[in-house]
Amino acid sequence: MQGASDVGRTEPARRLPGATPCGRTRREFIWQAGGGFVGTALTWLLARDGFFVQRAGAQEATPAGPLAPKTPHFAPRAKACIFLFMYGGPSQVDLFDPKPELTRRHGQPIPNLDADPLFKVRNPGTLLGSSHPFSRHGESGVEVSDLYPKLAGCIDDMAVIRSCHADSFAHGSGLLQMNTGFIRQGYPSLGSWVTYGLGTPNQNLPAYVVFLDHRGGPIGGAPNWGAGFMPATYQGTQFRTVGDPVIDLNPPEGISRAQQRGQLDLLRTLGALDTGAVARHDELAARLDTYELAFRMQSHAPDAVDLSRETAHTRLAYGLDNPMTERFGTRALMARRLVERGVRFVQVYSGGGHNDENWDAHTDVNKNHELHCGETDQPIAALLTDLKQRGLLDETLVVWGGEFGRTPTGQNGAGRDHNPRGFSMWMAGGGIQGGQACGATDEFGFAAVENRVHVHDLHATILHLMGMDHENLTYFHNSREMRLTDVEGRILHELIA
Amino acid sequence: MSRQCASKPPVHSIPADAPRASRWPAPIVPTTSGRAASRALLFAALALLPSSILHSAAADEPYGRFQFDETELEHWSFMPVERVRPPAVADAAWVRNPIDAFVLAGLEEAGLAPAPPADRRTLLRRLYLDLLGLPPTPEEQEAFLSDTSPGAVARLVDDLLSRPAYGERWGRHWLDVVRYAESNGYERDGAKPSVWRYRDYVIDSFNRDKPYDVFLREQLAGDELEGSNAEMQIATTFLRLGLWDDEPADPEVDRYDQLDDLVGATTATFMAQTVRCARCHDHKFESFTQRDYSRLLAVFEPLERPRDDRTDLDRPVGTAQEVAVYNEALAKAEEAVARVRREFDEAEWRIVRRLAEAGVLTAAAASTDQAAVAGDGAPANPAAAEAAAAAGPPALSLTLAADALAAFQVEPAQRNGDQEKMVKKHRKELRSLLDKGATPEESDLLASLLRDIEQAEAAMPPEPTKAYIWYEKSPQAPPTYVLARGDPRQRLEQVEPGVPAILVDGPLAPATPTAHSTGRRRQLAEWLTRPDNPLTARVMVNRIWQHHFGDGLAGTENDFGVMGEAPTHPDLLDWLAAEFVSSGWSIKHVHRLMLLSNTYQMSAEPDADAEAKDPHNARLWRWTPRRLEAEAIRDSILAASGRLNGQMGGPSVFPPIAPEVLASQSRPGSGWEKSEPEQAARRGIYTFVKRTLLIPELEVLDFPDTNNTCEQRAVSTVATQALTFLNGQFIHEQSRHFAERLMREAPDAAARVERAYVLALARPPRDDERQAVLAFLAEQEQRIRAEAQSAGSGADQAAQQALEQFCLVLLNTNEFVYMR
Repeated sequence: MQGASDVGRTEPARRLPGATPCGRTRREFIWQAGGGFVGTALTWLLARDGFFVQRAGAQEATPAGPLAPKTPHFAPRAKACIFLFMYGGPSQVDLFDPKPELTRRHGQPIPNLDADPLFKVRNPGTLLGSSHPFSRHGESGVEVSDLYPKLAGCIDDMAVIRSCHADSFAHGSGLLQMNTGFIRQGYPSLGSWVTYGLGTPNQNLPAYVVFLDHRGGPIGGAPNWGAGFMPATYQGTQFRTVGDPVIDLNPPEGISRAQQRGQLDLLRTLGALDTGAVARHDELAARLDTYELAFRMQSHAPDAVDLSRETAHTRLAYGLDNPMTERFGTRALMARRLVERGVRFVQVYSGGGHNDENWDAHTDVNKNHELHCGETDQPIAALLTDLKQRGLLDETLVVWGGEFGRTPTGQNGAGRDHNPRGFSMWMAGGGIQGGQACGATDEFGFAAVENRVHVHDLHATILHLMGMDHENLTYFHNSREMRLTDVEGRILHELIA
Repeated sequence: MSRQCASKPPVHSIPADAPRASRWPAPIVPTTSGRAASRALLFAALALLPSSILHSAAADEPYGRFQFDETELEHWSFMPVERVRPPAVADAAWVRNPIDAFVLAGLEEAGLAPAPPADRRTLLRRLYLDLLGLPPTPEEQEAFLSDTSPGAVARLVDDLLSRPAYGERWGRHWLDVVRYAESNGYERDGAKPSVWRYRDYVIDSFNRDKPYDVFLREQLAGDELEGSNAEMQIATTFLRLGLWDDEPADPEVDRYDQLDDLVGATTATFMAQTVRCARCHDHKFESFTQRDYSRLLAVFEPLERPRDDRTDLDRPVGTAQEVAVYNEALAKAEEAVARVRREFDEAEWRIVRRLAEAGVLTAAAASTDQAAVAGDGAPANPAAAEAAAAAGPPALSLTLAADALAAFQVEPAQRNGDQEKMVKKHRKELRSLLDKGATPEESDLLASLLRDIEQAEAAMPPEPTKAYIWYEKSPQAPPTYVLARGDPRQRLEQVEPGVPAILVDGPLAPATPTAHSTGRRRQLAEWLTRPDNPLTARVMVNRIWQHHFGDGLAGTENDFGVMGEAPTHPDLLDWLAAEFVSSGWSIKHVHRLMLLSNTYQMSAEPDADAEAKDPHNARLWRWTPRRLEAEAIRDSILAASGRLNGQMGGPSVFPPIAPEVLASQSRPGSGWEKSEPEQAARRGIYTFVKRTLLIPELEVLDFPDTNNTCEQRAVSTVATQALTFLNGQFIHEQSRHFAERLMREAPDAAARVERAYVLALARPPRDDERQAVLAFLAEQEQRIRAEAQSAGSGADQAAQQALEQFCLVLLNTNEFVYMR
């Protein structure tokens, strides 16, 4: 199996010889980055040569640029991934990690604090028991709090990980780590690694799409879905839920499609009239092709997110009739439509901007989480159900979580502070064995103590489910074969069906 | 688990069938083995020295080896630069300068012939775009094409090199390498104050042809050099251009991340080495040890970041005398302000005390944190109120929050910090109360003292020039340790500053501390700029070659290690390096050599036979055409449209970014100001570089990743470029300006097409092109009219709209965005 794969091998399409920090030689770059989010036949055009000529070995490469579909390392369980990013940090002890001891000792100081340098810095309040009762759901009987009543109905498809931990208690670096594996800026995001490794079957849509919250982007902005040191070809493309889904998709008002067709015809004509062998080169022809692809996208992209094509039943299921759930429901439903069309990686943010605009519940965790759970509960339940009914859940990995969790101690009275020491995430579909909760935090839900799962382990597992070996999916940069998981990463086999 | 430092990457620029020996003829130097042997001996000797002198680690420590094998010692970039004699060639007539001899020798050896010279128009446009990043104006085209006397090209090159726009073009190349950005990245992505002065310093240095050794020394150690002045100190901004997390997860690790950035930026920029890989262990493929890394880190260890908690600060710069004069004036002025403030505070205190004792001014029931409304609360002190009531109704009753009033009643000199804050917070409020309660004399006194304060503040010395630089606290350096696996909490041995062992034959000259710093950076800079340093000159001439020819002679311009590509023309690289040093490190001298060679002036036309033999043009049988960089495309569009604002220098400008793009920020629009249209139309190098928000027109055309050094930009071809340049706001605005310009400057459609070609492509259209464009204009005008008619609206502007659309198409042609 390994031998047939072309992921992360020393193969011209995805192995950059002679790279230093950003780089490689220009020749390499053109070969690498050509094609773009609407892939072109650039590679074989280049292979026909004349201008920037093919390299030895290029003949064996797949014939459609860097985003052409690629053979994974091994048979994948998931073809696509939808990452539901609960920006701000949801509180595990109020959602998926019941802590009776915390409730019992409500109001008391947390013991053994001095041992933790983090909490010395953050100056915690006393233990704050959850106001939300947990109950067992599904055949599996895994506990979920009453903040997620509808989602609780899907528990038998979900594997809850109660023992996640990360390295930063600040949003900025925490977001970077959950998205890129590193708390430092400048690294490719998970979606970039996935599209770099697998390409995409649909060349008419971006391979990696990001839906931001209607209240704004997450702290840190674009680097969270950036390609870091990889070419921009692999960065996430923002889709909007109102207006044109992609920025600059259509010409400004007053320029009709017929007029734009006329412009493109002139562009093509002038290209053909350009004399001299230089001008006739395939590289330049490929550049002109991207204009035609852009023109075609004007119909493909809006169609992909046209929810009027969904049945009334589906729209209701996602909560599009309810102002509370409409916005996130729209994003979740669009995500399903994109995945159906072959988009590899879709990230959907819940929460944007600052403070209570997202899950960052510093002042009142109940008020905050009632809002954000209220917005997401029905749409996420609908997404899982919908994917399952369409037979897509088996091949679509759904991941839920934030950049960290929250403290079991109170802050400002009823709020909770950031906590990367222990928090919950869950995964569903795409090879996940649902109906289980793995790992555990301490008696208060503060730190992961049992079967600890670091961000690198989550990433390794996601790549694994998508058919990639995280130790062999590499990109040459800074004189090193870089990995999403740095030098760590453990596959969570216990989660896999 | 092992770091996956790669196996050796394939060297792709060699024709597959070319045997290595003939590909890289041995340098024409006596022999290198003697030198290598002596170096080997030296290192063997070093390894035998008592460990207390060199290192305390046991011999089997997993880092810090001192022995290198012969391959490492003889690695091409570590060998001394030799001024190689240009080789003899068969077609001597083709050789215009020694560059041509080296290139032609290689071509002849491979059975290749150089391409014919480029025609004059092509060469003219190539030179303008290459040196200025702007197309020649119609007048400039005319002037050059009508000058057929000998030496016209040389005069043109001199002219272009003397223009300010040259520094803006070539300065930008340098900014790529040094990871230039104007914000810190991460959560708040705060602006780096005064950082633009470094950008101006770079532009100015290129324009003045500052000797490269001086340029290097200033950037590493401008504050430590003799006669250090503002400019030299601004140069050290180089060291502070990296990312900065103002709320790091682990401050100790973060401190070493910052130092790592300095080691990485310095060694990549000036040495083209990947020393950073040795942060946690010896470099797996290069000859750098973890001890080497730590010694380099020790050079930067004394640096401190000026900051006020999360706020990044800049610092005053100037000569020692300027700084002393300023500090003295500042101290004097501050003392004067403090004096009159004190007088005011005391006068105010006396009035408050009088009013309080008289029962006129009393405490409100609520304290400040209960949000009392001043002058409108019930008195908090019933007894005082009763007493006042017994004395008959006071003429006036004023109230102030209890804690505020208490603070004002403390004698100014006795107030503690909290009371000071309280006074500051409520002064305005008190002022309005005093307006009612103070006697006319008291009011006059306060007013007069306020005027004195204003005067004293106005007499503050003008703010000095500030720069975004680090500083050292003292000539005493803190200790530096080798850190186990790079972990700052696991110290191994202590090290002194130094450079990698593979590169030194003996100890460095000792550092000379200055009054305020250790002198370590100067020590490193002096070593780097020694004429016999094997790396410095090679690295820089290779970068210059890269931007004239598309790729460096060594194709990995930031990696001259064994993992990098070996140079295609090692002798030429050495010859250029030697020439560079002997010219006094003159960059413009190297430009002239390269630009006036026949090698540069060749046509870019391909040749099937040559391509078969040398598909990558590694032997330079033609000039390699390539796409312009993002800024050059943007600036050329502005030049064609007539909107380019040539104003130089100063703080960066903020071209408009669509609200949809700003929406990706957690605070949409945060950190992105609005510049006036004329300011937004300045050259790309003056647009603000924000690490988390790039200008879409630049980003989509492969603006570099600013988190790290970038020696070579990507050239991607993606549909988003087409979307941005077909439908975006920038291109439509500029197409409109371009069309309006054509309407003004030419009388009819044919003349406008003619002018458009000359402005954008530096050539008139050919007949078939002219006809195609005129046909488009007529058809598009018809289409616009017909659509307007069916929509029931007017079509007065149809002709101009069609012209705008032609302009847009012209700016999107391959010819416009490519140098050829």
